[in-house]
Amino acid sequence: MSVPLLAARGLTRIYASGQERVVGVREATLSFAAGELAVLAGPSGSGKTTLLNLLGLLDRPDAGRLELLGEDVSTLDDRGRARLRREKLGFVFQSHQLVPVLSAEENVALALWIRGLPEVDCRTRARAALASVGLSGMEGRRPDAMSGGQRQRVAVARAIVGEPALVLADEPTASLDSETAARLLDLFDALHAEKGIAFLFSSHDPRIVERVPRRIRLVDGLIVSDETPAGGAS
Amino acid sequence: MSLRWWRLAARNLFRHGRRTVLTGSIVVVGFVAATMTAGFVAQTFRGLKDITIRGQGGHLQVVSAASVGKSDEEAATLLLDHAGELTRSVATSPDVLQAMPRLAFFGLVARGERSVGYMGTGTVPALEKSATLTAEAVAEGAFLADPEGDEVMLGGGLARSLGAKTGDLVTVMTTTPDGGLNAIDATVVAILRWPIKELDDRLLFLPYAPAARLLKAEGKATSIAVTLKPGVDLEKAAGALRARLHRGGAGAAVKTWIESAPFYVAVRRLYAAIFLFTGLVLATVVILAAANTMTMSVFERTREIGTLLAIGMERRQVRNLFLAEGLLMGLGGSLAGAVGSLLIRAAINAAEINLPPPPGATSGGVLHVELIPAAFLVGFVLMTVTLLAASWWPARRAARLDPVEALTHV
Repeated sequence: MSVPLLAARGLTRIYASGQERVVGVREATLSFAAGELAVLAGPSGSGKTTLLNLLGLLDRPDAGRLELLGEDVSTLDDRGRARLRREKLGFVFQSHQLVPVLSAEENVALALWIRGLPEVDCRTRARAALASVGLSGMEGRRPDAMSGGQRQRVAVARAIVGEPALVLADEPTASLDSETAARLLDLFDALHAEKGIAFLFSSHDPRIVERVPRRIRLVDGLIVSDETPAGGAS
Repeated sequence: MSLRWWRLAARNLFRHGRRTVLTGSIVVVGFVAATMTAGFVAQTFRGLKDITIRGQGGHLQVVSAASVGKSDEEAATLLLDHAGELTRSVATSPDVLQAMPRLAFFGLVARGERSVGYMGTGTVPALEKSATLTAEAVAEGAFLADPEGDEVMLGGGLARSLGAKTGDLVTVMTTTPDGGLNAIDATVVAILRWPIKELDDRLLFLPYAPAARLLKAEGKATSIAVTLKPGVDLEKAAGALRARLHRGGAGAAVKTWIESAPFYVAVRRLYAAIFLFTGLVLATVVILAAANTMTMSVFERTREIGTLLAIGMERRQVRNLFLAEGLLMGLGGSLAGAVGSLLIRAAINAAEINLPPPPGATSGGVLHVELIPAAFLVGFVLMTVTLLAASWWPARRAARLDPVEALTHV
């Protein structure tokens, strides 16, 4: 039996809000295979982003265990978590979150700079990543000279340039119009198909939820269903 | 940190160009103020040092060992014997340019009904002229010419008190070391304008020979004033002369000019304290301005910092990025400050601005700001360290941000 890419058991995250304790995620247990495509779905406040942050090693659980490629990462220190994030994971955020003073190519290469790779490698791989998201010829443009969809594609290129095992995308279409969102979803499909990259989305956008084969639904921090509809590939 | 991070840091500085320029200009002003003050203070010290050395007649004073630690009045009675022989011996030392015997004495000088207290010096006219400020201070008449003649030069204030002018005859009275009274008549050949008013009111110069007759101290001297050759190390020369005199058994001691200049030492300390205080004020202003800029930058870039942390940037890398921004601002500001300082210095020196006389002095001087390379080096280091210090807390704050909170920062 192969080791799952990601395995969570009983993940719980509780926030303190004044005297009150708010449960963000309650005993979430799920497993995620390499090359899989899934979405955390649910209404606002259901705990999608909280769970995504826990799975992406951005946040620490108050209880439970998380394994990445068989390694227990629940108790890793900051440096260890940062290392795994830059080597094994990629991130796409609701807003593109690009560095405004860097060109598209440099923004993508940034994910490799932090690994300390040589400049030539960074440049070559950044150009290839930009080509794979359909942005050849726009390497020198700065974010303020690009459209919203183009910026989000640069963000996707930044997420995949390090050849991660898993890309976590938090509401990636939320700030895009329908047409641009559709093109971005096509891009995710293509990258999944061509490169075998696993994607885990957090979204309440039906355009994503309907296209993704595995749907994990949350309500009030609890996973209420984890289904792969018949015919859905994972 | 590799070059690409420095490039990123430099670009980050110009996200808000106006703010960076404003903060940078504070660094520039700080740098210019520090280097200009150092240049001005250096000129003041150099001038004061020159006046002090030439006022004492040279870099070193050979005095009677018994006079060390005594008051001027007491020391004036404790004379060196065989002054001529001793002067010749000192003058042949390899570090010495010239040596001259001097007699210090006190008493009253009278003209007609008026008599005023004086502070007298008996000296060798030709050597006094070349080694001291006295010749430059002649405002009226001519410097002492005859080493044997009964000629006298008076400070301007003293001459006014006596109502004396050149060509007048005055009576110089004193108490000899034996306690007797003696007097000679001397012709006023020059009126001096001494830069320090208290001395201008009291100074009197006689050639060595009549002064020795007056004091009944022929062949003796209160001190031998020694001028060193250019570039000679003061302490080494003093040490060599002490050893030479010790071997000769002359019963003489050697004092450096700085040991005989408590005023110079006090002024130096005062200036150093003022300079330190000014530096601290400047550093505080720069720290506050830069810290404010960096804090605003961290606040505005919180989401971006969250993104950088999310994609795997380590906290120390985030901290170093902000420190690099502070460092670059310090270096850039210092560089601009150095250029500004050179230009302003050139303009001030070209303008030949006259300074008013300092307290106690009768004449001012031309403002000249010296170029002090060490001050530029210290300025660079100080401003850079100051900017690093100012960036430390904002950088630390950025590095300690929680990525989840930072990503949701509005």
